[in-house]
Amino acid sequence: MSKDNPVIAEIRRETGSGTDLWSVIISPSIWALHFLVCYVSAAIYCQKLGRDAPLSDIRVLVIAVTVLALGGISWSSVRLWRVHDRSLTDDDFEYEHNTPEERHRFLSHVALMLCVLSAVAIIYVTIPMLYLDSCR
Amino acid sequence: MQQGQRCSFLVFRLAPLACVPLLVGCVSEQSTLHPAGEDAAAIADLFWVMAAGTVVIWLIVMGITVYAVLGRKRPKTERFADRFILIGGVAFPTITLAALLIFGLALLPDWVRSDRPDLRVHITAEQYWWRVAYEMPDGSLANTANELHLPAGQTAEFVLNSTDVIHSFWIPNLGGKMDVIPGRTNLWRLKPTEAGVYRGVCAEFCGPSHALMAFPVVVHEPDGFEAWLAGEAAGVEERRGHALFVSTGCGACHAVRGTSADGAVGPDLTHFASRRTMAAGTLPIAPENLQGWLVDPSHHKPDVRMPGYASLEETERDALVSYLLNLE
Repeated sequence: MSKDNPVIAEIRRETGSGTDLWSVIISPSIWALHFLVCYVSAAIYCQKLGRDAPLSDIRVLVIAVTVLALGGISWSSVRLWRVHDRSLTDDDFEYEHNTPEERHRFLSHVALMLCVLSAVAIIYVTIPMLYLDSCR
Repeated sequence: MQQGQRCSFLVFRLAPLACVPLLVGCVSEQSTLHPAGEDAAAIADLFWVMAAGTVVIWLIVMGITVYAVLGRKRPKTERFADRFILIGGVAFPTITLAALLIFGLALLPDWVRSDRPDLRVHITAEQYWWRVAYEMPDGSLANTANELHLPAGQTAEFVLNSTDVIHSFWIPNLGGKMDVIPGRTNLWRLKPTEAGVYRGVCAEFCGPSHALMAFPVVVHEPDGFEAWLAGEAAGVEERRGHALFVSTGCGACHAVRGTSADGAVGPDLTHFASRRTMAAGTLPIAPENLQGWLVDPSHHKPDVRMPGYASLEETERDALVSYLLNLE
């Protein structure tokens, strides 16, 4: 029974080593990519069109990239939240045992916090774009 | 004990003295908190909102601190602790900072402005002074320096340039500051709302005399500004007239005492404008009579020894007339 259940299988896989580092760095990576796309595209756009160019095209791009990035982080967050839900131990923030299960829960918790931080940072990068009108 | 008393005496009696330097900030001629312009008013609002918010947050934090130290010791649930950190440490700062960011961004000036300003002033910063040139309606520039005059209720646009290092143009009572960068023209607009005398400064360290690079800013009522600007143009014509008086040779025959014109062939003109007539009772003193006389003296007075100056341009004769009519 447990062999066929994909959820149990995933827990097995991740708790086998306890170090699924991808889930930790995925949200900061999305943040970094979002930051680069926003700044680099605006820089190129303004360099090509001059100081007085309106930013409306870039605003659409930034909002689209923000929606994508927040979508990605939400997906990651839901995955990490589930780890929290199906914890094999009790539902607290104590990680005192040197076991793969504890490491997995701890890293998932860290990754979830990073998701929150990255989402906040992405929103902060986007807010100014709603208020800026030109390349000046 | 003795020493303890001495210390507390020093702290309680002398502490107010430490606040004296802060009072310098109360001089209103160079103060963002005494706004006399639209931008400065927005900045002052931002300051007061932030100051009030800071006080509230400070009181909350201090209240919690005092409670934590002096309050009843009672175990809190882990759930409460988690919530407390989540709300007080994550949600509250995030929302507060976002609100401040939005409030600040909403104050950003509208940079794309196609409308013409009411007045355009060219400012060139140099170590350690300011060139000021007012753009006149005909496109010419009226030059002055180290003092700025502006009309209240009108938008002035500053065209900022530097000849040497980076300076910054700042009139705290009227608005924010703008860097003045060599090789780059920065535009900056201010709209003074209240007449008065303020103080502008260089707000970017530019060398040893950076602090000695200030300028008075006089905001006039619009009529007063027009009068001032007209006054700036005055006197220029006379001085040009004096230069022509010397260079075209008038001074070889006529004397104007106190200048290099010391000729003794013709009449002394030192107080020409205060006389009742010109050309020995021939004509009343008037600009058109002087013009006519300069073109062809013998037309008015046959066999006069003074030659005509029809070869001068009319504007040059205007300048000479202006000079002569001011010799009172």
